[in-house]
Amino acid sequence: MFMGTVACLFALLLGCARSGSESATIDAAKLKAYAPLPEVASAKEAVGERKVTLGRILYYDPRLSKSQKISCNSCHALTQYGVDNQATSNGHKGQKGDRNSPTVYNASLHFVQFWDGRAKNVEEQAKGPVLNPVEMAMTSEKQVITVLKSMPEYVDAFKKAFPDGRDPVTYDNMGKAIGAFERNLITPSRWDKFLKGDQAALTAEEKAGFNTFVASGCQTCHAGSLLGGNMYQKIGIVKPWPDTSDPGRFKVTNSEGDRFMFKVPSLRNIEKTGPYFHSGKIATLKEAIAKMADHQVGKTLSDAGIQSMETWMKSLTGEIPTDYIKQPELPKSTRKTPKPNEAD
Amino acid sequence: MVKKVLKYGMGVLSVALIVAQFIQPERTNSPADLAASFDAVAKPPREVAAVVARACRDCHSNQTEWPWYSRVAPVSWLVASDVKQGRAKLNFSQWNIYSPEMTRIKLGEMCGEVTKGDMPPLYYLPMHPVARVTPREVSAICSVPVAQAR
Repeated sequence: MFMGTVACLFALLLGCARSGSESATIDAAKLKAYAPLPEVASAKEAVGERKVTLGRILYYDPRLSKSQKISCNSCHALTQYGVDNQATSNGHKGQKGDRNSPTVYNASLHFVQFWDGRAKNVEEQAKGPVLNPVEMAMTSEKQVITVLKSMPEYVDAFKKAFPDGRDPVTYDNMGKAIGAFERNLITPSRWDKFLKGDQAALTAEEKAGFNTFVASGCQTCHAGSLLGGNMYQKIGIVKPWPDTSDPGRFKVTNSEGDRFMFKVPSLRNIEKTGPYFHSGKIATLKEAIAKMADHQVGKTLSDAGIQSMETWMKSLTGEIPTDYIKQPELPKSTRKTPKPNEAD
Repeated sequence: MVKKVLKYGMGVLSVALIVAQFIQPERTNSPADLAASFDAVAKPPREVAAVVARACRDCHSNQTEWPWYSRVAPVSWLVASDVKQGRAKLNFSQWNIYSPEMTRIKLGEMCGEVTKGDMPPLYYLPMHPVARVTPREVSAICSVPVAQAR
């Protein structure tokens, strides 16, 4: 171990010295841990076209919130890469959430949902914010169902989307429909073209940036088709994270081993989805890269190294599926539809 | 004159080394959560579990057996840093943090590292000869079924 640590020290020094000057070809062995995004996360037949249509309407409908002003799209704006670019989002009566709103694009491919993994999939996740008093603040599932059933167009759409149920307008089915819509929010990018064999899809600078990324040890957590979203990691694993106010997954499991554990975020569309980390307190991507290198792998990157990595990360920005996310016409309210409540 | 400088230098070095012993790094072993371990989650073949325990555990788990020299500065600082880095890269005590996709990636990396002879590192072996991995064990590591491992 002693000789090892000395050798390691030299290796680390060499690694740091090389950061930012990696070559412009990528060794195929380094790509083994990566895979392109699927065209769609789930076959359309599996999620059902009618379920997707209903899910799209629900996603945009602010009447699923107490004030009738907040929809899923308020915090996860589909034209803004699925985020609102706020540190934490504005919820009911202007209350602030306690964590940054993550992007909904490619979210269905994450192994769990939310920063702390408390929902197993997007269908389960979709049911959370509607009843969260700080977010959409509906008081009960029953209240949500009352709103939905007050509009015949919704009742009809639920019947079509869930033809097997006797009473298809349920809270669970609302989650399933929103989830079905979200499962096709996939954003392939030039990185995927490159992984599929198109060497020209990335510039020499971007390839060098990827090499810097790997040489710095970032692939330890950011690997796979999403370059993240497939494991938990303790924030500050090598060097303690200064802000310890959020215990992360510990809140869910009460297990000491999960203190400060968070789901590793995906790097897909990362240049567009700031501010960064669970707190949303880091404004720029460059700063986020430097902080991760420092606290997660114990390296101080040069400005050139940070710039190089950022250049590559921009190749992960995909195309927004503009037709798919087109805002639909919402069902018309009736006199049975509850009125907005902003008073409490 | 040279003798004087050498004597002075040795004195300063000795004092520095003595002072350094008071700056001890954290040598933590978190309480073992057996349900989260590689053995419990991955249920690897016995041979693989044994080689992991023998050759990898010191740097890649929360059950490090801290050697005597990990208490002597400045080596202690380097050893502690090594273990911290090792745990961050792969932790057999927390195998439950990995998704099926990441499990496949980590197992693939393990296979690659032991096949190339990069792990355990050559520098680790003189002090820990039992950590040597045989070709048969390499083959066993590379054959851990992914579906079973998560």
